[in-house]
Amino acid sequence: MSHIHFPDGVLPLWLWGSGFILAIVIGAILFRLTKKEALTRRLPLLGMMAAVMVLGASVELVPIAYHVNLTVISGIILGPSLIFLATFVVNFILALFGHGGITVIGLNTLTLSIEGILGYHLFHLFWKLLKRLTPATFLATFIALLFSTFAMIGVVSLGTSHYEELIHQEGEGIFEFHFLKEKEEHHSGEAAEEKVNVRRFMAIVLPLGLIGWVLEGVITSLICRYIYRLRPDLLHLEKGSQ
Amino acid sequence: MIQLSYLDYIAVERKSFLHRLSPKLKIIGMILVLFVIVTVRSLPGLFLLYVILLTLFSTARIPAKIFPLTLYPLIFAFLFIFLSGFQIFFILLIFLKVLCGSTGVVLLLASTPYPSIFSALGRVLPSIFVMALFLTYRSIFILLTVLEETQRALYLRGGVQWKHPWRSLINISNAFGHLIIQGIDASEKMYESMVLRGFKGKIHYRGE
Repeated sequence: MSHIHFPDGVLPLWLWGSGFILAIVIGAILFRLTKKEALTRRLPLLGMMAAVMVLGASVELVPIAYHVNLTVISGIILGPSLIFLATFVVNFILALFGHGGITVIGLNTLTLSIEGILGYHLFHLFWKLLKRLTPATFLATFIALLFSTFAMIGVVSLGTSHYEELIHQEGEGIFEFHFLKEKEEHHSGEAAEEKVNVRRFMAIVLPLGLIGWVLEGVITSLICRYIYRLRPDLLHLEKGSQ
Repeated sequence: MIQLSYLDYIAVERKSFLHRLSPKLKIIGMILVLFVIVTVRSLPGLFLLYVILLTLFSTARIPAKIFPLTLYPLIFAFLFIFLSGFQIFFILLIFLKVLCGSTGVVLLLASTPYPSIFSALGRVLPSIFVMALFLTYRSIFILLTVLEETQRALYLRGGVQWKHPWRSLINISNAFGHLIIQGIDASEKMYESMVLRGFKGKIHYRGE
């Protein structure tokens, strides 16, 4: 739910532009901090996990257009630095399929990487506290998705004035010319109704999001349990009881 | 996503004027389409762009079965109906922007093989990013093969039945878990074979 499925041209230039700049700056810092040899060695793994995320995004589970992101499990396996690059790649490929616009790749990377990075740290924190894999994974996924969804809503609300501008420019086109006068009256009468309503947007997104957080939490926990049974080394847990 | 391999096949196999055009020109064309989407705010302007893209789609001999791919992003555009308070002009504007963007992107992908796109992007984007893109693209095909086998195994174990949601969730999760483990094993083998062939942190494309 945290993924912004926004088309190009909806968000204001300053917003998606700064999203790109911020994502590039963070990416460059992480790239500098990671050893080049380690990065080259782990690049095929990064590609594979990014491919898993792309495939996950293409499998819709319920008729609310929800798909799993698998960002938290990818974050746990890849670690916080590589998950950032992986989300950048995933968003780029998804944008090439019209799954979110090309201009919002930077913003999508930021919101999705919140999920991956936060998920990684929360998973290790809950693992230390609870020493039980399933609740640790579920809680980490649920909280990480909650945060990234609110980050997405924050991004949407930052563009409010721009949406209002888009709504109120009706009539500027050639075809709308004849109706201008009639519309002016219509506009003044229903000005309050025409305002962009972020609360209404939240009222739609949050209940759907809740279903998504629980669903993704359960699926990630079950995936984690499966991986723990077959390749526990992939989860980077210290030796201890489950 | 299964259509990815079909898109790739069309990009390589079909021969039209759009397929013969240089990838660099097509990427510049896509950037122009994006520029129009971002800047133009009139319905006739966007409609005209959409008609041009549809004309290119039909003249470039791209199969009609690919067309639904361009409509898929409309599902997500519906969220905007709630944001705008059901303003017809705003909804039409958003829908046209979505359709122009997705049609442009599908046109690019269906007429240009991925390695050519990555090779062109490699000249402007950091090599590490382009390499990650290329490896992800390659991995998607590896995973699609694994997914086919996994789907068969999943079917034999009861598949996805909405009458048994918990069992279905376990099956889906096990399938993803299996996919991840198989994928990681394949990525380890891929890295070893790349090193054996002289990989030193950069992928070289044909003709470079």
